[in-house]
Amino acid sequence: MKTTSTNPVLTLLALDSATTGCAVCVWQDGRVLAVERETMARGQAQELMPMVDRVLAAAGVSPSDLSAVAVTRGPGAFTGLRIALAAARGFALALAVPCVGVTTLEVVAHGVPASMRDGRTLLVCVESKREDLYVQVFSPALEPLSEPLACDDAALVGLFETGERVLLVGDAAARAVEILRRAGMDAVLSDASPLPDPAIIAELAAVLLNRGQSPGDFAAPEPLYLRPPDAKLPKAEGRLRG
Amino acid sequence: MIVLGLETSCDETAAAVVRLNTDEGADGRGEILSNRILSQIEMHRPFGGIVPEVAARAHLECVDAIVQGAMDDAGLGYDQLDAVAATGGPGLIGGVIVGVMMAKAIARARSIPFIAVNHLEGHALTARLTQGVEFPYLLLLVSGGHSQLLAVRGVGDYVRLGTTIDDAVGEAFDKTAKMLGLGYPGGPPIEAAAKLGNAKRFALPRPLKGKPGCHFSFSGLKAAVKRALDALPPGDLQPQDINDMAASFQAAVAEVIGDRTRRAIHLFRDLCPQGRSLVVAGGVAANTALRDTLQAVAAAEGLTLAAPPLALCTDNGAMIAWAGIERLRLGLTDGLDFAPRPRWPLDPDAPKATGAGIKA
Repeated sequence: MKTTSTNPVLTLLALDSATTGCAVCVWQDGRVLAVERETMARGQAQELMPMVDRVLAAAGVSPSDLSAVAVTRGPGAFTGLRIALAAARGFALALAVPCVGVTTLEVVAHGVPASMRDGRTLLVCVESKREDLYVQVFSPALEPLSEPLACDDAALVGLFETGERVLLVGDAAARAVEILRRAGMDAVLSDASPLPDPAIIAELAAVLLNRGQSPGDFAAPEPLYLRPPDAKLPKAEGRLRG
Repeated sequence: MIVLGLETSCDETAAAVVRLNTDEGADGRGEILSNRILSQIEMHRPFGGIVPEVAARAHLECVDAIVQGAMDDAGLGYDQLDAVAATGGPGLIGGVIVGVMMAKAIARARSIPFIAVNHLEGHALTARLTQGVEFPYLLLLVSGGHSQLLAVRGVGDYVRLGTTIDDAVGEAFDKTAKMLGLGYPGGPPIEAAAKLGNAKRFALPRPLKGKPGCHFSFSGLKAAVKRALDALPPGDLQPQDINDMAASFQAAVAEVIGDRTRRAIHLFRDLCPQGRSLVVAGGVAANTALRDTLQAVAAAEGLTLAAPPLALCTDNGAMIAWAGIERLRLGLTDGLDFAPRPRWPLDPDAPKATGAGIKA
């Protein structure tokens, strides 16, 4: 415990199940006390909470010690992002602490070391399991250069100048790098983690928490889907005759 | 004993707090301290049915407010709960997951048990919450997703006597209403139109009536409605056509369910000679014509009909909280590794009904 600091201890539980992984960490004032990360395409509804349980135990932290809960709110798999979001919101409700949402795209972007980003535009690509990709463009200094977007091939190419030097990261980066190369970009793959790192989720949430004015600033974070539900409106609401 | 219950398996986001007085001499019924329900029906209406992804998104959007509202209405803090229960299935899995994850997190946050409730058990046990009905009893469960007759011998102890071999009865109401242009959900407008119609105008079939056993079938009835409407003179359906078809359809449904229930009572008697009650649950139990038929069948067979109040026949959080209480007092709690179940039969040993689809 910090006793010399003027700031109270900030202890966060960070959760992610939005993409093709499942990850939990307990973070305290810049240090990761315990973490678990697994690649997992499905089954997070079953695995996430036991993972939370193990990570809390390994960190020696009880839920009542938590200052806030941090979570990825998408984009990613619709069901997956709802799993961690619903859990995070449940913790926040029952403990009366803030729940802070960050995007998978910004978390993955912050996982790329500065030396790798030097002189290259960063493109984060998250798998949508459809034709399009969930992407966001960042400067080498990680300033966002686009909104989070759902892009098809043409729209993706349209984000860059021909010959632009692009660094790609994320679980759909291998798919996107081919598209950019075919369009004449100098595109390379980063070997940074393609999945959101829970320590970074906590760090980004801590920045937001320190910037926030009141707990009311951290009402339940909204999911970021980037795509409407698949559903067709029937003709005449299905009536047989007029 | 106080339990929070969450229900998110279909198109209603619901949460409730229920208390059981465990003092000696208490009557064994539950006390509903709060019961919040938010229907998504307006979101699904333009689609003529429930769109699973639309439902899942809507559940996540409002589940916090519904849960907190239920806690506020009950005047309780989370530290006063003995357990958190959530519908763990069967149902639309995207929605089930939202409720299950929230309930697991609340349970872990406050170090109290988590209980995964079978949605059908929630319906099955509601008559014990409201009327203190004693085991064993015969349950008729009729809703948009289910049509079953079950002997209820105890918590978690069910014998399925009959089920639908194709559509659920609520589905038949919805599809018929759709063909008549009465909108979605179909139950209430069909009942209203039927009051103004002639039930003898259209000769619709009574599927499986008089056949051995007590399974249901509704898809042929739905097809017969379509054929009868197609046979009408060209042009728009006239109001009288709509009312007469609604009345004819409803009469066919009530007659079939009455027949199947009578047969189920005989099977139930063999299985549980000491049983005294017929319990009806599920959204279709709100239909007055059906209730009248069941009342007559129960009376003729010497059983008491117990129907929970209408608001507790349709999906709600109180039934999940109550099923949670029933399970908690037997020590039946679940791990945080519980996997939500899109399919979850109450009687897993029941033989597959011939021709039955996934809704059986």
